[in-house]
Amino acid sequence: MIEIENVTVRFGGVVALNDVSAVFTTPVGGIIGPNGAGKTTLMNVVSGFLTSNSGRILVDGADILSVAPFRRAQRGLRRSFQREQIADDLSVRDNIQVQLDPLPGPASAKRAEVERMLAVTGLTDQAGRRGAELTGFERRLTDVARCLVGKPRLIMFDEPAGGLSVDETARLGELILGIHALTGAQTLVIDHDVELISRVCNEMLVLDFGRRIAFGPTADVLADHNVKAAYLGTEEVLA
Amino acid sequence: MNAALFRITPTGWAGLAFAAFAFIVLPSVAGSFWLSVLTSAACFAMAASGVGFMYARLGMVSLTQVGLMGIGGWVALRLNYAFAFPFEVNLVVASIVTMAFGWLLALPALRLRGLYLALVTLMAAGGLEILFATFKFPNGGDGFWGVKLGSLEPFRGPALATTPEAYLRYVVACVTLGFLFIEAHLRLAPGRAWAMIRRSEAAAMAAGVNVTLYKTWAFGIAGLLAGAAGCLLAGSLGLLDSGTFRSPESIMIFALAVVGGARSWLGPIIASVLYRVVPAFLASWGVNTNLAYMIFGAGLLHALITAPNGIAGQIHEAAGMAARKLGWRP
Repeated sequence: MIEIENVTVRFGGVVALNDVSAVFTTPVGGIIGPNGAGKTTLMNVVSGFLTSNSGRILVDGADILSVAPFRRAQRGLRRSFQREQIADDLSVRDNIQVQLDPLPGPASAKRAEVERMLAVTGLTDQAGRRGAELTGFERRLTDVARCLVGKPRLIMFDEPAGGLSVDETARLGELILGIHALTGAQTLVIDHDVELISRVCNEMLVLDFGRRIAFGPTADVLADHNVKAAYLGTEEVLA
Repeated sequence: MNAALFRITPTGWAGLAFAAFAFIVLPSVAGSFWLSVLTSAACFAMAASGVGFMYARLGMVSLTQVGLMGIGGWVALRLNYAFAFPFEVNLVVASIVTMAFGWLLALPALRLRGLYLALVTLMAAGGLEILFATFKFPNGGDGFWGVKLGSLEPFRGPALATTPEAYLRYVVACVTLGFLFIEAHLRLAPGRAWAMIRRSEAAAMAAGVNVTLYKTWAFGIAGLLAGAAGCLLAGSLGLLDSGTFRSPESIMIFALAVVGGARSWLGPIIASVLYRVVPAFLASWGVNTNLAYMIFGAGLLHALITAPNGIAGQIHEAAGMAARKLGWRP
């Protein structure tokens, strides 16, 4: 369970997040909103790359805001970035292994887990290829596989479908839907693809100008008048 | 056991073959002048490997490497005249002390990147240059600094290598171990962590990598190799001169590591050949050795314009193309 309590982030005079609160309890949650709404800022606060001016964030009851970013990752917090972050020099296998290196446990078990997640993401045949040789989708899948290893508790994807084809987005959606059953982790997804979000997310937070304008079950949120006005748009009926 | 750690790549075989050539053939055919030049070149290859590895794997520019060599040399000389330890003990202690200096240097530098990091390390090199020029290198005198005027005390080299030929072999073996030490790191968790840091520090942190630890680690390795190189250089010459460790030399060794190719074992070799062997050739032909600077400049322009991975990168590409034409696995 992720509890976001009254989180405020200011950049000088700009209020990027304004007293945002939400409690995500379902396997997959979504965060949507127009550009500049504060979605990535919220994700950066959760992952530790930004410090909030006020508020608390609890993951499974533990306040994580005082924990260093790399320690959050070691404690099960995973995230991907808008642009996939794959080391070009490393093989796909090593790009995944790097997440397990700081964690305790026998090397053989770590190698087995990497092979398992390579199979889950369909990258087994690409395991020995260098990051520089991969297609954009293969790089994204490598990023996803890295998030899956090491007993994750919370996985955050920041616009994972950006630049992907319809088929690739559908396959990514299937992977995201399977994460909870596979690892037990909760997932948070930011994306502009409303079809993907509505398919994979059980509940959704909508931000606009740093404020929460809606939160709740996906179907209810997407039907919300304020959400339509701020983000989805309203249908213009021509007489 | 990690099988990847011991897998020898075609490039690795080439490196081992070159090390065997340098170990067996070079000391047998070189005269006394060239033995001295090649030994010095091998020492600087070790130092260049440290600075090149930091640049290639982490994108960090350190302009203190020759200054750190001076620390290793100073400690080795001081230990040599103060105690009766075997050379190997002095080598290990000098390397570790220099590694500690590398860590100290890392502390302020870790918050900086790019040009600012380069400037801080250059200032450290400048500080070391002043210290070496002021206090000189120990030569058997009394007191902490151990400097005296007049005849010098004899320097104890390694018991395994009492002739110049044997000492070159000794240095080649040490340099090979240094290169293998870097390669082992690159194939294990530190190498993966450094690759992620080079990609993006945020991505590295998101992967659970302790960025501060691994950057400090890299500075430590560069310091360790520089310290060992300084000690080996002291062992070769029996004395050291502060003029060898001026801050422009650190800039030069970094630039030549880039020209040679920072990503490969061959790069530091090329760098050290340009730094030590080319001027020696010019001197032996009676040509002004300052001509070497023009050659360095041309090499640097060549690397910047056509060879982002340095001369070594071009050689590897050419070898790969030749292998493919011959139907071998690239």
